[in-house]
Amino acid sequence: MDFSFTEDQELMIDSLKEFAAQYFTDEAVKEMYEVHHGVPDEVQDAYRDLGFAFMGLPEEVGGIPATCVDLGILTETLYRATGCMTPFMTGMLAAYDVAEFGSPEQIQLIVDHYEKSGRSFAAMCLSEPGAGSDNMGMTTVTKKQDDGTFILKGQKTWVTNGAAVPYLVVIAKDEDPSRENKNMSLWLIPSDTPGVSTAGLTKLGQQTVPFVDVFFDDVVLTEENRLGEAGQGWLLLMKNFEFERCLVVAQGLGLAEAALDDAIDYALDRIAFGKPIADNPRVQDLITESKRTILYTRMMLYLCLWMLDQGMSCNAEVAMLKSESTKTCLKVADNAIEIFGGLGYTEEVRVGRIWKDLRGNALAGGTCEVMDYIAGRAIVNKYRARKK
Amino acid sequence: MKIVVAVKVVPDDQDIFVSADRTLDYSKAKPKISEYDKNALEAAAQFAAENAGSSVIAISAVPSKNDDTKAKQNILALGVDELFMATDDALETADSYATAQVLKGIVDSKVPDYDVIICGDGSADLYAGQVNIQLAAALGVPTINEVTSMKAEGDKLVVERTLDTEVEEIEVPLPAVVSVSPDIATPRIAGMRDILAAKKKPQTVEAAAAPVDVKVSVEDIKAPELAPRKNQIFEEGDIDAFVAAVAEALK
Repeated sequence: MDFSFTEDQELMIDSLKEFAAQYFTDEAVKEMYEVHHGVPDEVQDAYRDLGFAFMGLPEEVGGIPATCVDLGILTETLYRATGCMTPFMTGMLAAYDVAEFGSPEQIQLIVDHYEKSGRSFAAMCLSEPGAGSDNMGMTTVTKKQDDGTFILKGQKTWVTNGAAVPYLVVIAKDEDPSRENKNMSLWLIPSDTPGVSTAGLTKLGQQTVPFVDVFFDDVVLTEENRLGEAGQGWLLLMKNFEFERCLVVAQGLGLAEAALDDAIDYALDRIAFGKPIADNPRVQDLITESKRTILYTRMMLYLCLWMLDQGMSCNAEVAMLKSESTKTCLKVADNAIEIFGGLGYTEEVRVGRIWKDLRGNALAGGTCEVMDYIAGRAIVNKYRARKK
Repeated sequence: MKIVVAVKVVPDDQDIFVSADRTLDYSKAKPKISEYDKNALEAAAQFAAENAGSSVIAISAVPSKNDDTKAKQNILALGVDELFMATDDALETADSYATAQVLKGIVDSKVPDYDVIICGDGSADLYAGQVNIQLAAALGVPTINEVTSMKAEGDKLVVERTLDTEVEEIEVPLPAVVSVSPDIATPRIAGMRDILAAKKKPQTVEAAAAPVDVKVSVEDIKAPELAPRKNQIFEEGDIDAFVAAVAEALK
């Protein structure tokens, strides 16, 4: 078993740290959260120019070969080094879906987009007000017209970066919105198509990656807008859920590491009762609990990513990991606030911001309860199969 | 234009620790590109981009423990086309003269048709800033230091040399050795394509051609003894007492 990084991975980590140091200073990040509510174009362009935006995409779109482990390390490092939420991973996942399921013409749209801008290519429209993990409850629907076009109707919600991207990837039921209809298709729709509109939603944290409601009012689509095979939309999307959950964990892990880095640094400098508080056993308990979470999370994350690279499913493993680590990583940020004391509850330090950001990761990509359900079902099924 | 850039690989100073007996512990310090040589590399890459048809060749003289796969890949990811490295364990303690002799050996055998050799301001470990001068003397070509910009004009180089009180513009006949100040160029961040392409670029590592001419020897390296802090605290408004104490300490 080899726990060391390759030279490529080490150099990637160095470049990510340099990128973060250059573009994500404390002042710059503050402005991204409080003024821009996003990452400035200049920074997104730099991310593209350094090739990070192309990691893992197929070669047809100028992609750079990368394993799932590479992409996990990239995400963890980026979040640790910047200490903030960025739109890059969500953007990568959407581009990844289009590149994997799209026609040559649709794939070319990704290439054309990245020539113009470093911004994310597309946003994923999945959840609905009445249907989150209960995906069969979705009611957004397309109906075929006599002239061969389709009319799309419905509402999507929690669409991350939905107002800042040129394309939307939408999943909708074919013809019939009822729960019994399991046929769904994916569609790639330009954001400026008539009938598409967005409305901003507020967020507790993660102000750099705002989400929106997206409304589809009788949007006219053609067969060219379809992404992948008709009726297979859900199966196509599901293929990438495991990887998406890995990346949500990697983000949370990186942010938790950033919070702990700050907290230990502070604990070494802060003198109370004549010595650094880092030498106080109760403070060390907080540090140890946090570090343990980070090590456990990292090992399990790398295992899940490695499984994906071997072509194995990590459905149960990543569900357990996401459920556990999004809670424990949140506790790491909570411990960091505790170590900073009163200062931790101000906006003078970033651990409070990280704490707010991390709360969202417990919900993104499926709640902890749904993750436990997925894992529990998979484990029991595996044992039941053996009994037969 | 054939542009040579001299690069040193040194232990990462962030991970050198002082042991209890004041010796330096290098065990955690991985080899990396010497800090100011990154500016030299960038200056070389930019100079090559400004002069169509140029190539950038990196040369390096290091002890064999600094012949590091990652450091070499990093050099080749920063705008360099080819790398020649000479290794000899005597280089660990070699002075500028001995290092320059080894570099001359590489230049003579691998890139005798060079136009310009670019050196950094000084190395991250010794920071003597002498290798460029010694190398130019060994090669019998002119040298100039503190260079903050350079332009090729025929068989000459026009450089700006930024000094404390003035900026000189100087013409240097080629070939020449130029030592650049860090201000000349901000090092680039290696992009993913550069990192992966670097693995496919030619690199040659050989033992130094001639025995390294070590004229100095190091007997011992110790970190200075840490003086206990006096923790003298002056109250606000007590500025005169503070000034007097500082003046006393400086005597």
